[in-house]
Amino acid sequence: MSTHAQAPAAVELSKAAAEKKYPARMPRHGNASLYRRIVIGLLAIAVLAPVCLIIYQSFLTAAFFSPRARFGLDAYRYVFFDKNFYKALGTTAIFSFGMVAIAVPLGGLLAFLITRTDIKAKRLLEILVLVPMFISSIVLAFGYTVSVGPTGFVSLFIRDIIGVVPWNIYSLPGMILIAGLSHVPHVYLYVSAAMRNLPSDLEEAARTTGASVWQVSRDVTLPMVLPALIFAAALNVLLGFETFGIPLVLGDPNGIMVLTTYIYKLTTLFGTPTYQLMAVVAVVLVLITLPLVWMQRKLLRNARKYAAMGGKGARVSTLKLGKSGQIIALSIIGLWLFVSVALPIGGITVRAFVDAWGEGVSLFDQLTLANFSRMLEVPSLYNGIVNTILLSVVGGAVAVAIYLAVGLAGHRNWGMSNTILDYIVLLPRALPGLVVGLAFFWVFLFVPFLTPLRPTLVSLFVAYLVVGLSYGLRLLQGTLIQVAPELEESARTTGATIGRTWKDVVIPIVRPGLAGAWALIMIIFLREYATGVYLMGAGTEVIGSLMVSLLQTGAMNTIAALALISIVLTGAGLALALRLGAKIHD
Amino acid sequence: MNRHITVRSTAFAVTTAIITAFAVPALAQDVPAGYPADYADLIAKAKEEGTVSVYTSTDAAQSQKLQDGFTKKYGIKIAYNDLGTNGTYNQVISEAAAGQTTADVVWSSAMDLQMTLVQDGYGVEYASPEAAKLPAWANYKNTLYATTVEPIGVIYNTKALSEDKLPKTYAEMITFLRDNKAMLQGKVATFDPEKSGSGFLHHSNDARNRKDFWDLAKAMGEDGAKIYSSSGGMKETVVSGENVIAINIIGSYALDWVKESPNLGVHFAKDYTPAFSRLALITKDAPHSNAAKLFVDYMLSAEGQALLAEGGLPSVREDVTAGLNIKTLNERVGGGLKPIAVDEGVLEYMDQMKRVQFLNDWKAALGR
Repeated sequence: MSTHAQAPAAVELSKAAAEKKYPARMPRHGNASLYRRIVIGLLAIAVLAPVCLIIYQSFLTAAFFSPRARFGLDAYRYVFFDKNFYKALGTTAIFSFGMVAIAVPLGGLLAFLITRTDIKAKRLLEILVLVPMFISSIVLAFGYTVSVGPTGFVSLFIRDIIGVVPWNIYSLPGMILIAGLSHVPHVYLYVSAAMRNLPSDLEEAARTTGASVWQVSRDVTLPMVLPALIFAAALNVLLGFETFGIPLVLGDPNGIMVLTTYIYKLTTLFGTPTYQLMAVVAVVLVLITLPLVWMQRKLLRNARKYAAMGGKGARVSTLKLGKSGQIIALSIIGLWLFVSVALPIGGITVRAFVDAWGEGVSLFDQLTLANFSRMLEVPSLYNGIVNTILLSVVGGAVAVAIYLAVGLAGHRNWGMSNTILDYIVLLPRALPGLVVGLAFFWVFLFVPFLTPLRPTLVSLFVAYLVVGLSYGLRLLQGTLIQVAPELEESARTTGATIGRTWKDVVIPIVRPGLAGAWALIMIIFLREYATGVYLMGAGTEVIGSLMVSLLQTGAMNTIAALALISIVLTGAGLALALRLGAKIHD
Repeated sequence: MNRHITVRSTAFAVTTAIITAFAVPALAQDVPAGYPADYADLIAKAKEEGTVSVYTSTDAAQSQKLQDGFTKKYGIKIAYNDLGTNGTYNQVISEAAAGQTTADVVWSSAMDLQMTLVQDGYGVEYASPEAAKLPAWANYKNTLYATTVEPIGVIYNTKALSEDKLPKTYAEMITFLRDNKAMLQGKVATFDPEKSGSGFLHHSNDARNRKDFWDLAKAMGEDGAKIYSSSGGMKETVVSGENVIAINIIGSYALDWVKESPNLGVHFAKDYTPAFSRLALITKDAPHSNAAKLFVDYMLSAEGQALLAEGGLPSVREDVTAGLNIKTLNERVGGGLKPIAVDEGVLEYMDQMKRVQFLNDWKAALGR
């Protein structure tokens, strides 16, 4: 699943001012346009090959490699006349907008409390708030079923006190609530970046006229960060449309279907896989997404205009919360953290160490380490762990290098090629990871010189690279844009080529940012699960996809142990990221 | 001179004798009893190939003993690809279309998809020397072999139900579901035939064999049955007590689950317990065709079957004593074991019209 945030409010808002003052464009001559064309061209091939294959497949009547396949609109006809498709589409829309309705206000509030007030334990909170973003949704969903499912340990505890379990997570509202809460970090990232860059002089001016804290927040702060809020909302709608793990685990039992699980159903509905129908749904997802991407771009441009009102270097002062304010604010954040972090991670942890749970079971009687010892007995399981670490650590580093190469191609370039780049980058995010994985499986199978790479980790790496592209590139762009243009210009005026400028000026400056980006990409690769489902094979197993395939045979004990290992690895990645100075909150 | 020759020829004879003395027992040890004499050739060629690529829907954990046994015996590596039923089918047909066949042996529980592969020409005929040891229904034209026999039954939460309360026959199950609506409402689980290939196989096989299948489906519908796309989902909810009972679940897994989950019970109807099999075929363009033959023979041999049975997958052979075999399994489930025959019958619902009709009937019966 390519559910990644579009990262660190990417292009920092106040930098817009810088762009205006300095001619940030490089002179036409010697501005590395050949390099840019090559890089963007290669990227386009990597991204468009699978996308085109899917579009082509959607216009066929059978699998594209079948001799029976011919051109036709039959697949579109089937999907557009299938009432289940509209039902899934409707549910997806409700799910996405519901999720936004929860995540945006809450994310905005958290961003406000953490960036604009003198709330206690700020540094710690900044990290904790982002945690749900780094855990794959399938792991989250499993965790919730163990803690707050109908017979979860928290549910049973509550039932013992009040007689009933007052919630049902296997319902659309339950799914929306869980998805909404776990997407708060995605909103927080953007809005906190916007808020950090807001000059406080406007707020202070308002305060001097006697306005209360909340009046200022509502009438001054809110309008200023509105573009960021809308941007985050659009992003979350996008993420909502491609969510797979939460609906798969929580919606499935009651037959609640969204577009991604509808695609999943199409793999079995007809006995043999109906790729053409899956492709049509994937194309529909792209068509829904493209306008959102366009809107995001527009909003981002407006956001820059807004921030430019402030002027540079204004001191950011924080709002004094007072004693009761502190208590209220910390309670809100604490409650959210409890629900979004403690409950799912607690659930997974408990599940990993027991062999039975639920109604009438004392967890202490069921404690076991057997779930972990299996990891050592079965080669595919420890292969999975080793490969996952390899892919995230080594693959993550290579990915950062590639994203940097792409980032440089788009650096200080605002022309047509940049627009193309933006859309290319966002295209794969519109597709469910399952479909991207399947498309890459075919690419590696049918493109002659790529075939030897199919049974290796390289094929998985390429698919991961494309799935993580939008997140990774935003990270790198955000870092690159922080290099003051005058440094590059002075290098250029002394006669350095653009390549030399990058090598001797830009890259050394962004190096700390690269290390942080590496750790973050590592985490993104760690939590990936849908992409590998079709690509992994003997010796190339990965944790996330193993969990999906184990679900079929019911090895829940093993799944829980794998999920916990994945959380521990993510924790290690996050610790490393922070040590390397990753600015995850910037 | 003459003497010299004599000495040399004697030495030669001795050497030859020594070599033969060592070589013959080595070969005799390799070629299993009752196999054709030229089987040693097959073993030698297979060893040269050195590896066999298996595409399967069986968890590595369940077949680990079989894999280890094979590799230990022949020194041939197994590239074990657990791809799920759909993944297996998808990869086999994709690879064949690309002319890049990598799979040597396809070993899957999706009996209908396996039969489809054979019908569409992806399999190759191979008369295994072990074939005679299998029941007649377990061998389809020497192309598709049943390697296991796995009952389909019921799991239930032992804290909510005790085994003596459970219905003994298929017909009683229908009455049981109707008579205990209060206790079972929203707490009955079964496979979703739309999302699960195994679920479709189990339900449609019942529909082929039991006139009262639709009564059962309706009774489940009246209890507000929940439908799941995986065994894992169902097991977890019954373990936790969220569901009281799960119907048409894979009994071979369940027999294993109850060993480690004290609050889980497994139960079979005495009069009718269908059983499916994991079917093995050798691909048409198998890159390691000899190793593939060797592996299929090993899977079907008494030794391989015993290792599978130890891993929880009951044997199709009566002469296997480890774990359960088809005979002891029949006793365990109460005498009503009805294996799904490996024949064209499993293709009945691959016909699109019939399939859609079945799914519509199913949804209507469940009231969805």
